[in-house]
Amino acid sequence: MGREVSESCIDSLLTVMVSTYCNRFYANKPELAARRIEAIGYQVGHQLSERYTMERPRFSDHLEAIKFICKDFWFELFKKQIDNLKTNHRGTFVLQDNRFCWLTRMSIDQSPENGTSEELSIMADNKAMQSMHLYFPCGIIRGALSNLGIPCAVSADISNLPACSFVIRIKA
Amino acid sequence: MIVCVAVVGHQNNPLYIQSFTDADDALKLHHIVHCSLDVVDERVNNPKKSGPTLNETFLGLLYPTENYKVYGYLTNTKVKFILVTTDLDVRDADVRNEVPCCIC
Repeated sequence: MGREVSESCIDSLLTVMVSTYCNRFYANKPELAARRIEAIGYQVGHQLSERYTMERPRFSDHLEAIKFICKDFWFELFKKQIDNLKTNHRGTFVLQDNRFCWLTRMSIDQSPENGTSEELSIMADNKAMQSMHLYFPCGIIRGALSNLGIPCAVSADISNLPACSFVIRIKA
Repeated sequence: MIVCVAVVGHQNNPLYIQSFTDADDALKLHHIVHCSLDVVDERVNNPKKSGPTLNETFLGLLYPTENYKVYGYLTNTKVKFILVTTDLDVRDADVRNEVPCCIC
């Protein structure tokens, strides 16, 4: 367990992965590319959760497992914890990270509010590309939770970079 | 002396079983491991033992048979480690320390 990897390598690897899947493998099928990337994240999360829960006592309920994801798991992955956790106590959790590590190198569009239709469509493309990058961490969260016995669906929301929030819906 | 080690996945599927005795006993040891899975499930689902033991990963002595003692360890991902030993005077604490070493 002593091997280390540089963070910028991981950053570049993920950027290349997203662009390869979107532009080469599934060039005109963004939904398939998204599902594939999410599946890769699922496997990674599955295996990571096995490793990081090794020493801990078992979780008593779903909230404990989510708190583990917010604190220890996120800390192991990104050297920081989730900044804000909200729940409706009915199976939905919102995890907010104010400075998500893999989005920090992404440019923020500073376009004016009444842009031309061309600019708006470019903005929409950019938004789509940015959300592609979030399928991998969504998959990681989903994989980790399903290995802990909690089947769920995870989606991400980027209203303001570099903050992003992950919405976890536990399947009853 | 440990006679059998088994790793069982979260759907009670065997991932690894290894016996360390002569060949005749192997099937009997597999049966013992199989029976102990029920005991593990019972311990986990039964909240009567709530308190300090509820969330422990190490489940301790599951049940003694005529010649063997069976210990269990349950991870967060519902992977079960079953240890069958013959030592009649081995203590819980010793086994408790050995299991995390096996995992690494």
